[in-house]
Amino acid sequence: MTPKLHPARPGSPWRAVAIAAVSSLGAVGALSAPRLGIPAVVAVAIAGGAAALTVLCLPSFSTRRASVLVLGVGALGALRHAALPSSDSHLVVFWAMATLVALVLVDRADAESTPALVGAPPLAPRVSEAARAAVAIGAVVAMLSVAVVPTLTRELGRQEWLGKIPTLGDVQNSPGSLRASHELDMTNRPRLTDTVVFTVDAERPDFWRGEVFDVWNGVGTWSRSDDSYVTLARSDGTVPLVLDPYDVGAQRGEEMQQTFYLESRFSQLIFAAPSAVEVNTDLVLVGRPDGTAGVLRGLGQGAVYTVTSKNLKPTADVLRAADATPLPAPVRTRYAQVPLASERVRALAESITRDAATTYDKIRAIEAWLGANTEYSLDAPLSPKGVDVVDHFLFDSRLGWCEQVASSLVVLARSVGIPARLATGFVPGERDGLAGRFVVRENDAHAWTEVFFPGVGWQGFDPTASVPLAGDAPTNGSWFDWARDHVATFALVLGGIVLAVGAAPDLIARARRRVRRRNSWPARALVRLEKVGRASGRPRQPAEGPGEYARVLAAGIGDERLVAVGAVIDRDAFSGSGTSEDARAHADAVLSELTGRPRRE
Amino acid sequence: MFRTSSTAVHGPGDFTLTSVVLFTLGAYGIAAGSVTSDQTVVAIGVFAFVLFAIGLVWPIVILARVSVEVVAPSDGAVGDEVPLRIIVRGRTDRVEVRVLDPPGRWWRTAVPGVGTMPHLATRRGVFDEVRVQLRTSAPLGVFVRVRQARVRMPEPITIAPSARPAAAVLYPIGDEALMTDPVPASVAGGDTVRAVRPYVPGDPARLVHWATSARLGELVVREHDPPAAQGLALVVDLSGPDEWGDEAASYAAGMGRAALAGGGVVLLATREREGPVCARVLDARDLGRRLARAVAGPPADVPAGWPQRVVRALDFGTVP
Repeated sequence: MTPKLHPARPGSPWRAVAIAAVSSLGAVGALSAPRLGIPAVVAVAIAGGAAALTVLCLPSFSTRRASVLVLGVGALGALRHAALPSSDSHLVVFWAMATLVALVLVDRADAESTPALVGAPPLAPRVSEAARAAVAIGAVVAMLSVAVVPTLTRELGRQEWLGKIPTLGDVQNSPGSLRASHELDMTNRPRLTDTVVFTVDAERPDFWRGEVFDVWNGVGTWSRSDDSYVTLARSDGTVPLVLDPYDVGAQRGEEMQQTFYLESRFSQLIFAAPSAVEVNTDLVLVGRPDGTAGVLRGLGQGAVYTVTSKNLKPTADVLRAADATPLPAPVRTRYAQVPLASERVRALAESITRDAATTYDKIRAIEAWLGANTEYSLDAPLSPKGVDVVDHFLFDSRLGWCEQVASSLVVLARSVGIPARLATGFVPGERDGLAGRFVVRENDAHAWTEVFFPGVGWQGFDPTASVPLAGDAPTNGSWFDWARDHVATFALVLGGIVLAVGAAPDLIARARRRVRRRNSWPARALVRLEKVGRASGRPRQPAEGPGEYARVLAAGIGDERLVAVGAVIDRDAFSGSGTSEDARAHADAVLSELTGRPRRE
Repeated sequence: MFRTSSTAVHGPGDFTLTSVVLFTLGAYGIAAGSVTSDQTVVAIGVFAFVLFAIGLVWPIVILARVSVEVVAPSDGAVGDEVPLRIIVRGRTDRVEVRVLDPPGRWWRTAVPGVGTMPHLATRRGVFDEVRVQLRTSAPLGVFVRVRQARVRMPEPITIAPSARPAAAVLYPIGDEALMTDPVPASVAGGDTVRAVRPYVPGDPARLVHWATSARLGELVVREHDPPAAQGLALVVDLSGPDEWGDEAASYAAGMGRAALAGGGVVLLATREREGPVCARVLDARDLGRRLARAVAGPPADVPAGWPQRVVRALDFGTVP
């Protein structure tokens, strides 16, 4: 009869449950900490402490029910807080495993409260049972998740949604990087937080472009040469954008769809990987001639829209060959005119690009020069009032953030007749392993350069950091996508693990039995009997048992004692009762005498 | 215990609170995922649903692969805890087992495993099979799968009635009556032989001591010490409802035990499944076995000269 223990008493199986529950709830605490705005340590301590108290300190309530309920509450928290944008996929996986183990241990602890049959073998250790169950079930969960989660998400998930209507406060408190503007003032230092602004479901990373600027005032402000916009017509929920007629990639490029989920309370811009061609939304959009779009009244939190972009994904060779195509006059006029820049800036551009043969090589040369001679810092000193920011950055401070670096590339490129413009938006962000989405935060705001290549269109260059060309970008998304792409390998490895885990106990037991048999008395006695036989010129035949072989030897050697030795070996090896120690000793004595060597203990 | 009539004690299984929690989470997760398009939320929903499904299927598969054997002692009595040896074969971490008739408590064991459980005997009779329930909710506690099996035991168990306290009046039994003592139904012998003496005409043939007679060359007969001179014939008629019959058997057991304890000879007339039986009982265990085998129906006739004490089930209908 198993005595009932208070859950908290030493030896109680509920202690193991409490440890697993604390781990599970602790993970939920860590998940929720960013959203609740409290330190992770505090959240983990509160959640874990609550779990421990619930499991161990409610003796008046069924411990099993209390444990299951607290795990259920934890799961609700996971559902609430694991949702983007504050998720950490590893924490979600940790939570899932801890919950799984906790459920196994709860059932085990409940079973342990039942009395054991008198004389029955003890149950397997808790850790062993929990580990085996967790591995097996975890494997099944992983396989099924890989099979159904992406499909379910795609089939059930919304691809467009209006979101909440933003309030005046939402508009006022929204980050500048989400608001449409007529100009970009580079004399202010950006104040960027870690807040997630939106997430993007896309097959590959890209710059999420919001606006472009093509007019540099020679001091510190970018603006547009054509600041007009038109209201875009919508048909069947699809809004075609205004396309740049000379952007070949936007017309003939490879399609890529991106679904944007707005987490910020307000956004006036439609972000998209260049070059966006249409948007699936019920919103009323306005479009600019440069191909960017926005929403006059703004988008609210929860808004979802899907953008289709096209890009030729050119390689370096394609871009080098683009010089063979003449530059369209309108592009030259608008984007390649010599900018308002100091003489030394233009001279610098000439000197950097003097040895470069193609437009692409010239851009690369300027990028290389910027990389070698300037440094990135958000704490760079602001340029003095009225001073050309680009000139100051290139010759005086040589310290700046993306806006200065990208502006310098545009100004330097234009100084040598290359059509270029400044693009603003966000870098791809960090991809969430479980959700497969790019999580874009406020501090992912970025500015980069777009250069026009005849026959190709606008191509982004990021002089601030080394960003691969779109054509070189990886295409894997979430862990589920990766697993689907490697399903054969995945299945093999998983099968191997399951087989290994399942077969290991049997293999170990078999090996132990083999070792035991090898070291058993009959095995050792048979070896010695065979030695006697070999010495007498009659080795044992494969089909001969010990008794039979001993009789043959007894007749051959003329020592009838061997018959008894064979019988003792047979009995010891094959009868359930075995033989007495005296019989073994007698057989050993006979064998020792015949082999001339005492038995090894 | 070991009641052969079926009793509804359990269904094929029960869902637990864990199943409700997991199912709700799964549904909520997938529904929420359909709103947010968040793959993480959908993954959590799928996780909960898969746990629910595994927790449902796993115990069913486990129990389908487990078999059980029961070995019982040869004798027991109503009201005693009978030690039943339970042998569970298969391959899983653990199951719980209990014996029905009446439903006993659950006992756990590793599988494969052998152990003993005490089980309260509540009904008299001879039983060669027993209903056993196996259950498990491993590994997740989502679904408690219960499987019932009717297990035939290698040897039957005889459950004697509990002996109800009763007084027995012993009557003198004449030699003629003793001579008509039928062959005992159970093992022969039991009287203590004091000596042998030469045969005289009129001695019952059963008293001849053949071995000594052969050795001496003349017939000798056994002399018993003390001679079985007191006793009674218990006539047990269990015709009537089962409960009344059990009461009557219990009363007869008490009376028979009292008579045996007083040194009397007890002749028991009952009806067994094979027909009426009238035989002398040797000891309390023999008495219990005979009464365990007794069934409803007219008992055997008692030889002439035996004082009779009749116990009828119908007389116990109003016994509180």
